[in-house]
Amino acid sequence: MSIVAPQTKPPIWRNGTVLKWAAQIGVFAGVAALGWILVSTAMANMRAQGVSFDWEFLTDPPGIQLAEGIFTRPASGLEVFATGIVNMLRITVSGIVAATFLGVVIGISRLSSNWLLSKLSTFFIETIRNIPLLVQIVFWFFLCSLFFPALNGVDAGPIPGWLVVTRKGISLPWIFPQQTFWQWLVFVAAGVVAARWMVRRRVRQLEETGQNTHPGRYGFLVFVAFAAVGWWAHPLAGALGWVWQLLAGIVATVPLIGWQLVLGGAAVFLAARWIFRFLDSRRTPAGLARLTDDDYFRMFLAGALGLIGAGVFLLVPGLTDLIARVTEFVLRFFDAKFDFLRTGAPLALGRPSIVTPGRFPQIGPTGMTLTPAFFGVWVGVTLYTAAFIAEIVRGGILAVSRGQTEAGLALGLKRGRLLRMIVLPQAFRIILPPMGNQYLNLAKNTSLGIAVAYAEPIQVGQTLFNQTGDTIQVFVLWMAFYLAVSLVLSSIVNWYNRKLALVER
Amino acid sequence: MKTRIVVVVSILAMVLAACGTGAEETTTTAPDGATTVAPPDSGTTPAAQTGSDLLETVKARGTLNCGVNETLPGFGTKDTAGNFVGFDVDFCRAVAAAILGDANAVHYESLTAAARFEAISSGLIDVLSRNTTWTQSRDTDLGTDFAETTYYDGQQLMAKSADGFSSASTLNDIEGATVCTNAGTTTEKNISEAAAALGVTITLNTFEDFNIAMENFKSGACDILTTDGSGLVSKKATDPDGGGWVIFPSVPISKEPLGLLWISNQSRFGDVVRWTIFSMFYAEERGITAANVDAEAAAPRDGEIGRMLGASDDEVQSKMGLPKDAFYQVIKQVGNYGEVFDRNLRPLGLERGLNDLWTNGGLLYSPPFR
Repeated sequence: MSIVAPQTKPPIWRNGTVLKWAAQIGVFAGVAALGWILVSTAMANMRAQGVSFDWEFLTDPPGIQLAEGIFTRPASGLEVFATGIVNMLRITVSGIVAATFLGVVIGISRLSSNWLLSKLSTFFIETIRNIPLLVQIVFWFFLCSLFFPALNGVDAGPIPGWLVVTRKGISLPWIFPQQTFWQWLVFVAAGVVAARWMVRRRVRQLEETGQNTHPGRYGFLVFVAFAAVGWWAHPLAGALGWVWQLLAGIVATVPLIGWQLVLGGAAVFLAARWIFRFLDSRRTPAGLARLTDDDYFRMFLAGALGLIGAGVFLLVPGLTDLIARVTEFVLRFFDAKFDFLRTGAPLALGRPSIVTPGRFPQIGPTGMTLTPAFFGVWVGVTLYTAAFIAEIVRGGILAVSRGQTEAGLALGLKRGRLLRMIVLPQAFRIILPPMGNQYLNLAKNTSLGIAVAYAEPIQVGQTLFNQTGDTIQVFVLWMAFYLAVSLVLSSIVNWYNRKLALVER
Repeated sequence: MKTRIVVVVSILAMVLAACGTGAEETTTTAPDGATTVAPPDSGTTPAAQTGSDLLETVKARGTLNCGVNETLPGFGTKDTAGNFVGFDVDFCRAVAAAILGDANAVHYESLTAAARFEAISSGLIDVLSRNTTWTQSRDTDLGTDFAETTYYDGQQLMAKSADGFSSASTLNDIEGATVCTNAGTTTEKNISEAAAALGVTITLNTFEDFNIAMENFKSGACDILTTDGSGLVSKKATDPDGGGWVIFPSVPISKEPLGLLWISNQSRFGDVVRWTIFSMFYAEERGITAANVDAEAAAPRDGEIGRMLGASDDEVQSKMGLPKDAFYQVIKQVGNYGEVFDRNLRPLGLERGLNDLWTNGGLLYSPPFR
C-alpha cells in the first residue's frame, strides 16, 4: 500500500487474477457441460428405446415382499427403500461399534508381550484381510443356513427360551423399547445434560482445591438419578406431546408463500452472515487485510449459493411444500410418541420364542433375531473391518514415541494404566483419520449383502427396478443414499478429529 | 473498506446475472436443438434407432449375440464339454441359422435374471432367450419386444414330502413358511400377491443366484422353493435328493409365457425371430424333421412347404432380408419344435401339455407361410 512501485499493468491474458478466475469458471462450466451431456444423452437414448423416466414407482404399490425389515409387505416404492435403508443402517451402526471394539482389542493384543496372544492376533488379521469380503460373507451365511442345527420345534436350543441357534437364524434375549420409551428418553437426555454440568463443577473444584472430588462418579450418579426418576415419572414428559401438536399445527396452517419467504430469507441471511464473518476473520488491528483472489472467490461462491438458494425456494414451491410436509410429518410422529396417559416401563426384556403358525416352526418376533443373511453380512463386514482397524491401532501405538512409555514406566505406572492414560490418547490422534476410512468402507461394504439376499438398499432397489424397469432412477437413489451416508459419517469423524486435535497457538 | 464490500457485491450480482442468462440460453436452445441435431445424434445410439437395423448389424458382424441362462438344466446350461445346451439355447441357434446360415454362429452371454434386461438395452446382446416371461410392463415400459411364446409355463411351488406335502397341496398349506425364490423375476411378485390374496403370511427370501436358494431349500433354511414349474421339474429331476420333493399346486399360480425378446423398434429383426419360431411350429405340424427336410426341400409336398423351405420362387424369406433357404437351415441344423422339446425337456420328465400343437389341443399355432 505504502510503496508505490512503477507498475506496468500486464495484458489481460497474463493477468494472474483474471487467469485464476477464468480457470475457476472454466472448470465449473466444463463440469456442468459434461454432466449436461451425460444426462441429456441418457435421456435421449431412453426416449429412443421407449423407456419412460418418471418417479411414479416411489408411490405405486410394488407388489413384492421383502425378507426382513420395517415393511416386509411394502405399500410403495418409498417403503421399499426405507426398509432397505433401515436394514443397512442396522448393520452399519452395530458393525462400526463392534468392529472398533474388536479391532482395538486385537490391535493391542498383537503388540502384547504374550507370545500366544500376539501370534493369534497376527493370524486373525492376516487370514481375514487376505480373503475377499464377498467370500467371507457367503461363508458365514452358508455356515448359518446350511450347518447350524435345523429348526425342528419349540425346544430349539442350545438354551431354549434364552438362546436359539438354528438354520433359520439366531435369536437372543434383548431389551426392547416400549411405547413409553420416548417419554423416558426426555429424562435420560436431561440426565446427560445435568451429568455434564456436575462433572464440570466437580472438575473445577478439583482444580481449585486439589482434592479428588470424583467428578466421574458424581456425574454418573446424577445421570442414574435422572434415569431412575424418569422410569416412573415419564408420563410428565407426555405433556411435550402438546408442544409437538402445536408446532405441527403451525406448520400446517401458515400458507406456503410464508414458508417460501422464510426459507429464502434464511438462505440469503446465512450467506450474508458467512460473508461478514469471513471479512471479520480477515480483519487485523491494522484494518482489513489484503484479500486474495481465493478470498474473493469464496465470498462470491457464498453469495451465489445464498442467492441461488433463495431463488430456488421462491421459484420452486414444490420444494418448500415438501420440506413443510416432511417437517409436519416428523412433528406428528413425535406427537404420536408422547401421551400423558401412557404408563408402564419404558424398556422390557424380550426372550426368543418359537412359533408354528402353519406346518413350519419359525423364530418368533419376541427376541432379537438375526436372520442367516443378517448374520452373514454382519459377521463378514465386522470381522473384515476389525482386521483393518487392528492394524491401524497397532500402527498408531507404534507411532507414539517410545520415550513416552519409558517415562511412564519410570513414574511407576502399571502397564494397563500406562496404555490407557499415556499411549492410547496420543495414539488416538493418529488412528482416527484412517479409522474414518474404515467406517466408510464398512458402510459401503454392506451392499455385498445382495449376494446372500439381505434386504439392503441395493437388493431391494434391484428387486424394484426389475419389477418396474426404472433402472436409472433407482441408480440415482442409490448414489444419493450412499453419498449421504458417507458424507454424514465422514463429517462425524472429521468433527471428532478436530475436537481431538492438539490446540496450537 | 465499505466501498470494497459494495464493489464485491456488485461484481457478485453481475456475474450471477451473467450465469443466470447463460443457463437460460442453454435450456431454451435444448428443445429445438434436439430436433435439429437428431440425425448426427442417431449414430451414437446404434441399437435404438431405426437408422441402424439390428438385422443388418447381426449380418455384418457374422455372429448372433444371445443372452442365455447357465444354471437351468433343460433350458440353458453347459454340457461337460463347456458348450451351451438347452431348449432356450436351441432357439438362439435357430435364429442364427436363419440369419447367418450357421446355427453355431452364436456368441452366448450367460446372464442372471437381474442383469438380463440391462444386457438388452445396453446392446450387449441382440436377443435374449433366457426363460423370460412375456408381461405387459416388459413389452411396453421396459423397451423390449417379445416373440411368439416358445414355452407356456406357470409358477409352482416345491416342498418336501417329509413336511407333509403332496402334489394335492395348496397355497393355504404354506402358512408361516419361509419361501425362497430368485431375485429379479416375476415369480417373487406372483407369490407375494398370491399369498396376500389368500391372507397367507410367508417370509420371502429372494436370491440373486438360484443355486443358493436351492442349497437353502435342501438344508431346510427355506421351507418352500418357488419358480416356474419347468424350472422346478428340471431341478427335481437332476438333484439326487429330488425323489423326496413334491411340486404343487397342479394348476400353476401364474401364467408364465416364456419367449425370446429384443430391443424395441427393430421390426425387421423381430419379424425374423418370430417367423423362425413359426417355421419350427409349422415344420412339426407338417411332419418335417431334421432327418427328412432334405427330401422335403427337393420335392415339396405342397406350395406352402415349398415356400417355407425356400424351394419355390414365390418364397418370402428374401423379402425379409434372409437367404431363401433360411428356414430350411433352421430345420436342418436345429430341428422342428417337437424335436427341440424332445431333445431338451422330455428327459427331465416334462410333458407337452399346453406346449403342444393346436391340432393336438395345445397352444402352438403358426400363421400360414404365404
